[in-house]
Amino acid sequence: MTAAPGRASEPAIHVRSADVSVTTDGAVLDANFQIDLGDTLEEALAKGLSLHFVAEFELIYERWYLLNLWNRTIASFELRYRLNYNALTRQYRLTVGSLTQNVETLADAVQTMARIRNQVIASRDDLKPGQDYTAQLRLRIDPKQLPKPFQISSIGSKSWNVSSEWYRWTVRP
Amino acid sequence: MTSRSLRWQAALSTRGGRILTGVVILCGAILVYLLSSASADTPAFASGIVWLLGAGVAVVLLLMMLAGYQLVLLRRRLKARIFGSKLTLRLVLLFALVALLPGVLVYSVSVQFLTRSIDTWFDIRVEKALEGGLALGRNTLDTMLRDLRTKAEAMSLSLTDQGPAQQRHLINALREQAAVQEAAVFDQNGVVRVFASDAKERLAPRLVSGELLQNVRMHQSSARILSDPEEGLLLRVVVPVTSRTGEMHVLQLIQKVPPDITRDADAVQTAYGEFQELMYSRPGLKQMYGLSLTLALLLALFASLLIAIYFSERLSAPLGVLAEGTRAVAQGDFRERTPVKSYDELRILTRSFNEMTRELAEAREATQRYQSAVEGAKNFLESVLANLSAGVMVFDGARGLRSANPSAGRILGVDLAGLEGIPLERWAEREPRLGALVEPLATMLAGGSARMREGEIRIPGLRGEQLTLMAKVSGIGRSGEREFVVVFDDITNLLQAQRQAAWGEVARRMAHEIKNPLTPIQLSAERLQLRLHDKLAAPDADMLDRLTRTIVDQVSALKGMVDEFSRHARTPAAALRPLDLGQLTREVLGLYESSNPSIVAKIDPGAALVSGDPAKLRQVLLNLIANAEDAVASVTMPRILVTVEPATDAVALRVADNGAGFPGDMLHRPIEPYVTTKAKGTGLGLAIVNKIVEEHGGTIHLENLVSGGARVSVLLPLAQRGPARQTPLEHIAHG
Repeated sequence: MTAAPGRASEPAIHVRSADVSVTTDGAVLDANFQIDLGDTLEEALAKGLSLHFVAEFELIYERWYLLNLWNRTIASFELRYRLNYNALTRQYRLTVGSLTQNVETLADAVQTMARIRNQVIASRDDLKPGQDYTAQLRLRIDPKQLPKPFQISSIGSKSWNVSSEWYRWTVRP
Repeated sequence: MTSRSLRWQAALSTRGGRILTGVVILCGAILVYLLSSASADTPAFASGIVWLLGAGVAVVLLLMMLAGYQLVLLRRRLKARIFGSKLTLRLVLLFALVALLPGVLVYSVSVQFLTRSIDTWFDIRVEKALEGGLALGRNTLDTMLRDLRTKAEAMSLSLTDQGPAQQRHLINALREQAAVQEAAVFDQNGVVRVFASDAKERLAPRLVSGELLQNVRMHQSSARILSDPEEGLLLRVVVPVTSRTGEMHVLQLIQKVPPDITRDADAVQTAYGEFQELMYSRPGLKQMYGLSLTLALLLALFASLLIAIYFSERLSAPLGVLAEGTRAVAQGDFRERTPVKSYDELRILTRSFNEMTRELAEAREATQRYQSAVEGAKNFLESVLANLSAGVMVFDGARGLRSANPSAGRILGVDLAGLEGIPLERWAEREPRLGALVEPLATMLAGGSARMREGEIRIPGLRGEQLTLMAKVSGIGRSGEREFVVVFDDITNLLQAQRQAAWGEVARRMAHEIKNPLTPIQLSAERLQLRLHDKLAAPDADMLDRLTRTIVDQVSALKGMVDEFSRHARTPAAALRPLDLGQLTREVLGLYESSNPSIVAKIDPGAALVSGDPAKLRQVLLNLIANAEDAVASVTMPRILVTVEPATDAVALRVADNGAGFPGDMLHRPIEPYVTTKAKGTGLGLAIVNKIVEEHGGTIHLENLVSGGARVSVLLPLAQRGPARQTPLEHIAHG
C-alpha cells in the first residue's frame, strides 16, 4: 500500500508507450501503462474487493476507402488481470491471464500490471512486410466483471469506470 | 413502432394491435422475471444487467406510448361524442384505479422493506465482528510466526559454528524438537546444505529467493506467510546462521498452519471480503432492486391500463352497436345489427334489440302496405270525385264544410277551399251570392236523419243568370247525424233543354196544325174574290178585293211565321271548321254599307281562327244586327258598334247599341225562345243565336251598358282546340 508517486484521488490509466515488433516468435507487443488507481479503488482493494482489468489490443489492416467499413482485423487479443488483497497474509495477489503471483506491495502489483513484455499477438505470416497496419491498445477496468450492483451504480461514476483512451499507432513490419 | 401503431387506427380494436400489446406485455413480464432472478446474487446476467435494465425501460416506454396512444384515441372519441366512449373512460379509470392502488401499495411497502432490510445487513456490529475475526486470525498467525521465529533463532544458535555433518545430524533433531515441518540450511548462494522434513516424500526444500538471501546477508531475518495452493497457509522464517568458516548461511523453517485455523481464517476473510463488497454495492443494490421494482410496477401499471382499455372497449362495444342501431332505427334503417359475441346479458340485449328492430321493420312494412292501400283507395275516390261532373260537398255535424270536389266549386262559381270549416250559416258573409243556397240547404240538412233528401235550389250565377241546382243530401257516419254529403248538379241547362225541346215540339205541332187550315182559308178567300168580284158593285168589289188581299197577306204572313217556328225547332247540325271571324264579320257588314243607322266595325286583325259554321255564324251576326237596328229605331242618334277581338282561349264578337237596353228580368234569366221585348217579334232571334253559339261550344252574355244601350257578347272557342265539344245540351236536344 505504498503511495504511488503523484497519486491522484481520481483513477486514471494512460498508455505510456506501445510498440509492435517482429521477432522470430512472430509479432510481439511491448507496452507500458501508467496506472493510478485512485483513493476509491485502493480502498476497495484494501477491503478485500477484487479488481478486474482488461487490456485490449487490435491490429487492423485499414483500407483507405469506403469509410473504414471494410477494415480487417488482423489480430486481436484481450489480456485479463485480476488484482486482490489478502488481508490475512497482507499480500497482493495478481493474476495475469492464467498466471498468479503474490506481491508484497500494491506498487509492485501495479508495476507488474503496467508492463506488457513480449506478448505474441500474431504469427509472422499474418503480417506483410512493408504494409501499414494500425494498432490500438487500451487498458481498463472490466465492467462485466464488476458485481452486478456495481454495474448499475458505476454507470457514469468515474471511480469505477476507469479506462485508458485507445492508443493508436501505425505498425510497419 | 410508433409509426406501426399509428397505422392501426384503433390499435387495440384491431387484431394486430392486440397482438402487439400482448407481445409487449409478455416481453415485459419476461424481463421482470429475468430482472428479479438477476437481482439475486447469482452469476446469471452478470454482465448484462445494465442491458436488461435498459430493455426493461424500453419496454415500459413502449407500453407507455401504446397506452398514451390509446388514451389519445379515447379522448378523440370522447370529443367526437361517440356513444359508449364515456363508459369506456369510466371503466378505464376504474380498472386503472383497481390496478393502481394495490400496485402502488405493494410497491411502496416493497421499497420500504427492501431499503430497511438492506440497511440491516450492514449492521456496524457485524462489521466489527468480522474485522475482529480477521484481526484474530491475523494475530494468531503473527503469534505463530513470532513463535517460529524464536524457534528459528534458537535453532540458528545451535547450528552456528557446526560443520555440515554435524548440522545434518543436528537438524532433524532440532526440527523434531521445535515441531516444525521443514527445516533447511542454504549457503549464501542459495544452495541447499542440509534439509529435513517430516514428510518422507519431500526430497527438496522450498527454495529461497535471491532477494531474501540478500536481506539475510545483511543480518535481517524474514518471517512471512505463504499461501500454497496445495497445503494452504505456510509460515516461513528465514534467519542467518554463521558457519564455522564464517560464511553466512541461511536457515529456513517452514511450518504449516493447522488446517482448521487456515479454514477458519479463510472463512473470516472471505466473509469480510464479501461483506465489504456488499458494503460497496449497497447503493447499487438499492438502485437495482428499486429499479427492478419500479420497472415491474410501471409494467404492471401500463399493462393493466392497456388491458383495462381493451376490456373497456370490449364491454362498451355492444353499447356502440346498440347506439348505432338505435340511430339507424331512428333514421328508418331496420337492418339487423351484428350480434355481440359474448356470453352475458349484453348478447341477450343485442339479440332482443335485433328482435325489436325486426318487429319494427315488419310493423312498418305492414303500415306502409296498409297506407298505400288506403292511399290508393283515397286516390281512386278522389279521382272519381274530381272527375264527377256533379258537385260533392261534405259537412260535419256543426254544418261546417269539410271538403268539396272541384266540380262543386265550378258549379257554384266559388273557391270552396276558402269556405272550408266555415259553418253553412255564415257562408253568405263570405260569398253573398251563395246566400240563396244557405237557407234551402240548411233546411235539407236539418231535415230527417237517415233518409236521403233532395230538392231544387235556385241561386244567381256569376253573370247574374239564374242557376238551378238539384241537390241530394244524405247522412254518413255511424249515427247518421254526424256528417252530411251534399251531391248537387247544375240542371239549368237540362231544364232549358227540356223547355226548348218542349217548345220545339209545340212549335212543330202548332205549325202543322196551323198550316193545315191556312191553305183552305187562302184558297177560299181567293175563290170568294173570283166568284164575287164580278157580281158586286164597284165599291163592294173594291172592298172585297181589299179584304181578300188582307186575308191572303195575313195567311201568307202566318205561313211565314209558322215556317219560322218549324225552322227553329228543326235546325241542321252545325258543320264546324276553322274560320276567320273578322273576315266573316266584314263580309256581313258589307251588306249594311249604305244602311241607316250606320254600323261601326272594330275588327282586331290579331284575332285567331275560331271553329265555326260560316252560314250559322252569319245568321248569328244578322240576328244580332237586326236586334240592334230594332233597338235604335226610335233613337235620335242611333249608333251600332260591332267588335271582333281576342279573349282568353276565345274570340269575342260583340254587338253594342245605344238603344233602350234589356229589361232587368231578361238579363237574369237564361235566354228562352218566344220571349221578346219588341212589339213585333217572334222572340226567336236571340234564342236562335243562343242555340247556335251553344252548338259552337261558346257562350253568350247579355248586359246593359252604363252609358246606355245594350251589348251582346259572344265568345267562340279557338280553332286550335280541335273540333268543338259536343255539349251535353246537344245530346239532349237532338238525341
